[in-house]
Amino acid sequence: MKRHLSDLQIAAWMTGERTAGEQAHVRECAECGAEVARLESAVAAFRGSVREWSAGAAGRPSRARSRAPHALRLVFATALLAILAGVPLYRTAERQRQAAQARADALLLEQVDAGLARSVPAPMEPLLSLVSGDIR
Amino acid sequence: MADPCKPRHLKFRLYLRVQPTVSDAVEEWPVSESGAAQLEDFDAVVRIHRPKIFRFALASTYDRDAAETLTQDCFLKAYRSREWFRGDSSVQTWLMQIAVNLVRDWARNRRLQFWKRLRTAPEPDSVKDWMPDRELSPEGQAMVREQVAAVWAAAGRLPERQRTVFLLRFVEDMDLLEIAAATGMKEGTVKAHLFRALEAVRGRIGRKK
Repeated sequence: MKRHLSDLQIAAWMTGERTAGEQAHVRECAECGAEVARLESAVAAFRGSVREWSAGAAGRPSRARSRAPHALRLVFATALLAILAGVPLYRTAERQRQAAQARADALLLEQVDAGLARSVPAPMEPLLSLVSGDIR
Repeated sequence: MADPCKPRHLKFRLYLRVQPTVSDAVEEWPVSESGAAQLEDFDAVVRIHRPKIFRFALASTYDRDAAETLTQDCFLKAYRSREWFRGDSSVQTWLMQIAVNLVRDWARNRRLQFWKRLRTAPEPDSVKDWMPDRELSPEGQAMVREQVAAVWAAAGRLPERQRTVFLLRFVEDMDLLEIAAATGMKEGTVKAHLFRALEAVRGRIGRKK
């Protein structure tokens, strides 16, 4: 067999279908021999990796049942504690803020009242300086 | 008090979340005592065949949780259908037939759940950590690792049937007739799928000729 193996023949070789002529050619032809060996080696290595991965995965606990509870539960518990502790603090701070706001509002109103309050109408205000103190 | 109807040898743990749509691939198998006798010690059947079924499910789904569920479903289905197992094929082929159908249903459901289709490759560490023949030189090991990664990548891109046939032939070492029985395809169809899969793998690892 002089011609190189076709793609189909190489695929058939991999499935175990090989004629005596093909076997002789692969023995003699370095190119075809290397190609077949390379493909066989890649497939064998793939088989090894799948088996190792599977054996490792079968031995490990499932992500859904192990990793998630430890990490997520811790996060949720911490968040819950933070919320529970934060609520009273927030309420106190909010009350203090409202009281301060009320005081500021009252002071502002007083200032406005003082500004607006007049003992005499505005046109008569200059006359006040002429009036004696005891009348005032 | 123990339930007298519960089979005592059914020791494998069954998960509550069973796939809603599983094919009834085994329901047409006629009754036979000789076939059913092979499944008498079902605990032993599970013990012997579980690693193979899990491996196939894992390599097909790339998802450990899904693979575990599918494996449990496979044995649950097999247990429920054991009376219909005639024994024409080996127990392994029969179980693989159930597993292939379950994986197919899983893939069909997965196509609808597009938001879950994020993982298209095995856990990277699994491939990276895999140690080829320790007698190889570091260069040789690196080359083999490269080849393995290329085959993984090629297998991940194969259409479902081609991948199934590829895995059954080259990972599970099943012959064409067994694959035909497990997949419900004709031998010629199996061969055609296998050839196409090999072409894709050759293309990925880089053909030299």
